[in-house]
Amino acid sequence: MSVVKEITSIASIRMAIDENWTVRRCRYAPEGASAGRVCLATGIHGDELMGQLIAYGVARCIAAQPECLHGIVDIYPMLNPLGLDVGDRMTPMDHLDMNRAFPGTKDGTALEAICHAIIEDMRGADLVLDIHSGTVGKSELYEVRLSSPHADWLLDQARALSPDLIWVLPERSANHAMLTAALCDAGVPAMILEIDEHRRRPQASADRVVGSIFCKLTQMGLWTGDAAPQPLHGERIPCIRTPEEVCRVTCEHPGIYEPEDCSGRWVKAGDRLGAIFDALAGEVREEITAPVDGLVFSQRSYSPVYPGTLIARIFQGGTK
Amino acid sequence: MKKDVLFTLPSYFREDMNIYAYRFGKGERTCAVLGALRGNEVQQLYVCARLIAYLREVEKEDGILPGRSVMIIPTAVGASMNVGTRLWAPENMDINRRFPGDAQGSTTERIAGALMEKLRLYRYGIQLTSFYQPGSFVPHVRVMDTGRQNPELGCEFGLPYVYVRTPRTADKSTLNYAWQLAGTQAYSLYAGRTDEIDEAAAEQTLRAIIRFLGSRGVIRADATPGHISTIITNDDVLSVSATTAGLLRRVKFAGAHVRRGEQLAFIMNPLDGSVRETLKTPVTGMLFFVQDGPFITEQSPVFQIFSSQRG
Repeated sequence: MSVVKEITSIASIRMAIDENWTVRRCRYAPEGASAGRVCLATGIHGDELMGQLIAYGVARCIAAQPECLHGIVDIYPMLNPLGLDVGDRMTPMDHLDMNRAFPGTKDGTALEAICHAIIEDMRGADLVLDIHSGTVGKSELYEVRLSSPHADWLLDQARALSPDLIWVLPERSANHAMLTAALCDAGVPAMILEIDEHRRRPQASADRVVGSIFCKLTQMGLWTGDAAPQPLHGERIPCIRTPEEVCRVTCEHPGIYEPEDCSGRWVKAGDRLGAIFDALAGEVREEITAPVDGLVFSQRSYSPVYPGTLIARIFQGGTK
Repeated sequence: MKKDVLFTLPSYFREDMNIYAYRFGKGERTCAVLGALRGNEVQQLYVCARLIAYLREVEKEDGILPGRSVMIIPTAVGASMNVGTRLWAPENMDINRRFPGDAQGSTTERIAGALMEKLRLYRYGIQLTSFYQPGSFVPHVRVMDTGRQNPELGCEFGLPYVYVRTPRTADKSTLNYAWQLAGTQAYSLYAGRTDEIDEAAAEQTLRAIIRFLGSRGVIRADATPGHISTIITNDDVLSVSATTAGLLRRVKFAGAHVRRGEQLAFIMNPLDGSVRETLKTPVTGMLFFVQDGPFITEQSPVFQIFSSQRG
């Protein structure tokens, strides 16, 4: 059985000078009956590139074993193509966060119309995975993030993706305007995959996520080819269910953060996470230590900081 | 007048950023006014500076009434204004999407939290704000529909319109929304332009604030009578959007009264000068907002028209 590959524009807005703001989808569909439909979306934030490599990896695996695909895989690699082009997290023309503009409206602004078209195109899917990578200057474990109101019915599905951590995002009004939350509100199972950028060596991180996506496709009956194994003890994957389980470590002094690499480590209270130094005075301004025991799942990399800058997030609800 | 530092954000590469409060009068915390929350809100800063200069003169003449006080914060983002970035650059964040803020949170949450801690103590709140699109509004008072709003009181500014807006999800983290929930009667004033000074609109906005301070018993005001305000809602405002893209050439401007079918603007092919679209008004009314960027993208709102024929 072969796979039909089709690239389609799902939304297009004319720009001033001979260009369109177009969102495109590549569909991989088996000839004949389909066992379901999964959407892989990425590029909502233009400064996050990891999703490009993951989307490319998924496409290559399908091309290598086309006879193993039994359902539709839709890949949307560039939801914010203008932001990606200039490396801007926001949409460059209006400086708005696209992931706070869903579900959009058909007759709204250009951004609202694009968001609406994306939701409509994904409607009816059996699963949507929205792939993100940590913002510039921050490293993340491989995490699945779920919208709070929908966590209960998504948790088992999230475990099959074998992340290092599952995080049920706190209930905030702004989170309701995210792509995944808007899809869940429309009855479409959707979750965020957060992966570290590792810009020098991104391949290993991408391969791991691609393997886990095919594991999920296998579980759903859409794939019979190579895939990562099913997690043996999915229930043991650390899961943050309440805001109180996350300890946000921030700095109190401005300067340059020199990190001690703790990402993915279970630390003890008092363990060193790095220091803030002042090159002009030639002094350390602040030593940063873990205030609690737990898993460091998010950590700032070498970068300038202000008082309040997030240095690390520690999951303090689990055990090693 | 007293000037004090409301919040200091230490910086590494440059000098610390201070947020200053200018206070007049004693006693009840009656009214707080906030200017720029974004780095390009020059008009908002200018109106506050003019207001402070005016109140200094009022104070000399014992014109601040006993038992009343007013606080003015011209800008909360001096560091952004000095380098011309609308958003808070280190976090690429809009501080007006970080309210009510958090004293222990991120840098922008700390700035928002420090402002909120002081602003919430006042009975009346005025924020001079701007729209995310480039353009001009007819000066008006805007208030979020939180269930606690008091649009009738907003009429005391004497501007032509008080616009009660149904908040969208993103609006729930703005100052106006959080301020109302904290118990202050909060109003946003749209003062014409944003990133450059519009003298006429600044004067009108300044007079509106003075009128409000007079009517609320804060100052002995010599303000001229204002408009009898009309309270409008989302249902009274119609948006006219472009159905194509190109160079936008406006024919009508904010404040103009237009009759149904009248031409408002045309969109020109930026390469050969041919007309791609003529925008006409579908209703008779008044141009409430006019976008004034040189380029226009398909489906972008170009005009907002207030019309009593709607709804």
